[in-house]
Amino acid sequence: MLALLLLASAAGAGPAPGPAGYVGSNACKTCHADLWLNFYKNPHYKSIASGLEPPERTGCEGCHGPGGAHVEARGGKTTIARAFSLLRPAQVLDACLACHAKDLSRANIRRSEHTRAGVACSSCHSIHKAQAPRFLLARKQAELCYGCHSAVRAQFSMPSKHRVNEGFMQCTDCHNPHGAMAPTWRMGARPRMVEQALGNEEPCLKCHSDKRGPFVFEHPSVRVDGCEACHFPHGSTNPRLLRRPVVFSVCLECHNGAGNFGRQGDGIRTQSASHNMADPRYRNCTACHARIHGSNSSEFFLR
Amino acid sequence: MRSIRFLVWVGAAGALWSQQAIAPTPEPVGSPRGENLGGYNVVNSFETGYRFSRIDGDLGRYRSDVNYRNGVRLLGSNLTVNSRDGHGRFFDEIVLSTLGLGNDPYQSSLLRVQKNRLYRYDMLWRLNEYYNPGLTIAGGLHALDTRRRLQDHDFVLGPESNWSLRLGYSRESQTGPALSSVQLFDGRGDIFPVFRDIRRTRNEYRAGGRMQWFGFRLDVLRAWDNFKEDTPDSLDGAGSAGRTTLSGFRRAEPYHGNTPLWRVNLHRESKVWAMNGRFSYAGGRRDFVLDEMALGTDRFGAARNRQIVVAGNARRPVATGDFLLSFTPGDKFSLVNNTSVYNNRIDGNAAYLEFDNARASANLAYFQFLGMRVVSNSTEAGYRVTKWLGFRGGYQYSARRVSSVEATAPEGAGLQALRYTQESHLHSGVAGIRLQPLRPLTINLDGEVGRDDRPFFPVSDKNYHLLGGRIRYKTRSVALETSYRQRYNTNSVALSTHSARGRDYTAAASWMPRGWFGFDASYARLHVDTVSGIAYFSRLQLTPGQSVYISNLHTGNLGMHFGLGRADVYAGYSIVEDTGDGGRAGVFDPQAVLAGAPQAYPLRFHTPLARLSIRLHSKIRWNAGWQFYRYREDIALSGAFQNYRAHTGYSSVLWSF
Repeated sequence: MLALLLLASAAGAGPAPGPAGYVGSNACKTCHADLWLNFYKNPHYKSIASGLEPPERTGCEGCHGPGGAHVEARGGKTTIARAFSLLRPAQVLDACLACHAKDLSRANIRRSEHTRAGVACSSCHSIHKAQAPRFLLARKQAELCYGCHSAVRAQFSMPSKHRVNEGFMQCTDCHNPHGAMAPTWRMGARPRMVEQALGNEEPCLKCHSDKRGPFVFEHPSVRVDGCEACHFPHGSTNPRLLRRPVVFSVCLECHNGAGNFGRQGDGIRTQSASHNMADPRYRNCTACHARIHGSNSSEFFLR
Repeated sequence: MRSIRFLVWVGAAGALWSQQAIAPTPEPVGSPRGENLGGYNVVNSFETGYRFSRIDGDLGRYRSDVNYRNGVRLLGSNLTVNSRDGHGRFFDEIVLSTLGLGNDPYQSSLLRVQKNRLYRYDMLWRLNEYYNPGLTIAGGLHALDTRRRLQDHDFVLGPESNWSLRLGYSRESQTGPALSSVQLFDGRGDIFPVFRDIRRTRNEYRAGGRMQWFGFRLDVLRAWDNFKEDTPDSLDGAGSAGRTTLSGFRRAEPYHGNTPLWRVNLHRESKVWAMNGRFSYAGGRRDFVLDEMALGTDRFGAARNRQIVVAGNARRPVATGDFLLSFTPGDKFSLVNNTSVYNNRIDGNAAYLEFDNARASANLAYFQFLGMRVVSNSTEAGYRVTKWLGFRGGYQYSARRVSSVEATAPEGAGLQALRYTQESHLHSGVAGIRLQPLRPLTINLDGEVGRDDRPFFPVSDKNYHLLGGRIRYKTRSVALETSYRQRYNTNSVALSTHSARGRDYTAAASWMPRGWFGFDASYARLHVDTVSGIAYFSRLQLTPGQSVYISNLHTGNLGMHFGLGRADVYAGYSIVEDTGDGGRAGVFDPQAVLAGAPQAYPLRFHTPLARLSIRLHSKIRWNAGWQFYRYREDIALSGAFQNYRAHTGYSSVLWSF
């Protein structure tokens, strides 16, 4: 510690602040040796390694701003031009986007729900103490999301669920935490922050490509309201993430002939009179309508 | 030393949250600083062990929900290689992590290789043993015992430069046996299970680039998606189901096609204004042939020899455009406007030909068409009055037009095309308040109200509102949060009513005062109740009714981590209980549900777990864990309970070298 203090004193007296108060990362490592020791593993180190970036985009000062005042004051958080723990979320965003704005995945970050709710970059990313080296996440991805989204955590604890807790999937397989375009396959702006598949389709189709079609006979609910018309996307106590425990309820709640709905505006057609719901075998809709997501050979999805 | 302490602390934090699957062990092993080899630094760890399971009860349901089985595994591994000066010859960083390799039902490998400023390569490979015992209400049909493999490769040349080139490849496959069903020979014929040998593959190729000038960034992507399914269906021996008999059945249905895609994105980001424009066009096409032969007798005892031949193609070109413009003229005010257009038309050229080979007669039918166009515009403004108070509000308008051509008669009876168009308009408004009275305390309140004049489905959003609130208190060692979210949607029409009400209540707390101790707990109550009008036929009589569904889910997670010298102990408990409508009916009666009785699915899913990890050496840990799953239904959906109890666990060695 004494040696570090002496080094710090020497550093304080040593490097004279350069233009606009920049002193270079070498001055920082004198006192912040613990951060510096592993900094070469950090993706931000490439700004130092290249030697091509201007001072305001290089190393420690690339993020924290000119360090001249901090060195002259021999430390102190308030003397750091950009001390992230003291910045407002919008200021954190400005600092990070100075370099990270070019990526398409972050093109909507200023309009995202996270930004509007005051969730800044540093809420999820830890530059110096990341637990996940890829993307410098402060914790494993699902755990980060669960930290705020307890209801989603509950949904992924259900018996039927997508395998996020098991590590097979990540939240970002379907969502873009930096903000996404509006889900135009639906009418409203919800669900928010959903990362569309190529071609602005629902992200479900990225993996469930057999449901993607095109089919000659598409089940309109898949195209018009999306998979959520029948399924809970995160998890459910019902089999196959269905919205109801029994299949006929899922079907009959739409296929009830009620006016104003459907393509003709006179209702989604009811089942045929040949169906006798008093007979148990007619309650298993998908036993006959086996290709319920779409078919090329049957407008009733029979094959 | 300080960083080492912190890394241990971070490891403890990870151990605290990673409770859902007992293995791999999240505790750190080896030096967090790694070893220096030449110009590189290497940090690695491998966990090898034996996973065991003992299942009592419904194995099919267990395999559907959990699916961990016995065997030796590479439970997990992590490897990072970093060049120490940022000037490695071929690479500057390698990150490789794996999960469950060896035979776990969920396996993955993630690889990143990059050289600073020159290239970056990312690979993700995943395997899922996808098992489904079949829908209980459908008599166990549609059972699946398949393997899904997914892989994604992305290569970027010049990732940080103003000009970059991107190449990508993704592959997905699903293979394995399955059971489906076929219904023969007319609308009241019987249902037969058929065997399916699922063979699906998708290959996607991507090429694109990014260029930047005067602050504008242009991204162009060209992609080709090839999909093919060659799943044959067959009958395994003659069968009889009621009055219909089936002595032979086979179906071949090759379905191949591709989706070529263009996506162009132009965006500019500055502190005062930003724009983001995107256009995409995907011209999906699938070609198919179906040949189905069925031999048997129909429900009247007459011999049937039916062949169905279908050939053609299906096309679905989708064009979309988005344009987003935002202004942030000061530190306090922001204005965002977004316009989106979505247009697809599903088109096809299918000819359905049904032969009755015994009578030498044939029926011919053609396709239908479905097209959809959505135009949306939204404007949202935000104003931060003070450091601790901000408001936001917005308005959205969407217009949708659905066009279709469809048949008026069942297939084979001579179709007549009818054209329909349906239009709907949605108006919605959002508002929110954000408060931050103290630095660690944030309060967010928001709401949305929407009115759709003609939703497509009775269960679609029509007259809906959302209300939500979240209070969060977070310091370095403590995080407390509670939230409430309400979603109500009410559709009232002449013949039918649909009302859906959802309310979520959550509370969560985590406390990590020291590196050796951590506590995490959360509770969520998810309530849904819906009332929907239904109509069904019962003995040729059209019967109106109501479908009532009630779900009251109580879920809880509790986890505690202790670091006791060389030993780390983690104990957790996860509970999911659906109490339904409060009354735990012993028998599920579909007839009663059709008559309007509340439909609920009360069940309990409990998962306690415990793990012990002992540091034997600075580079070796021994770990053992136990996780118990108890699934219990209060009603039997198809006459049989799917309950199970499963003891799972593992013993492993986590080592670094």
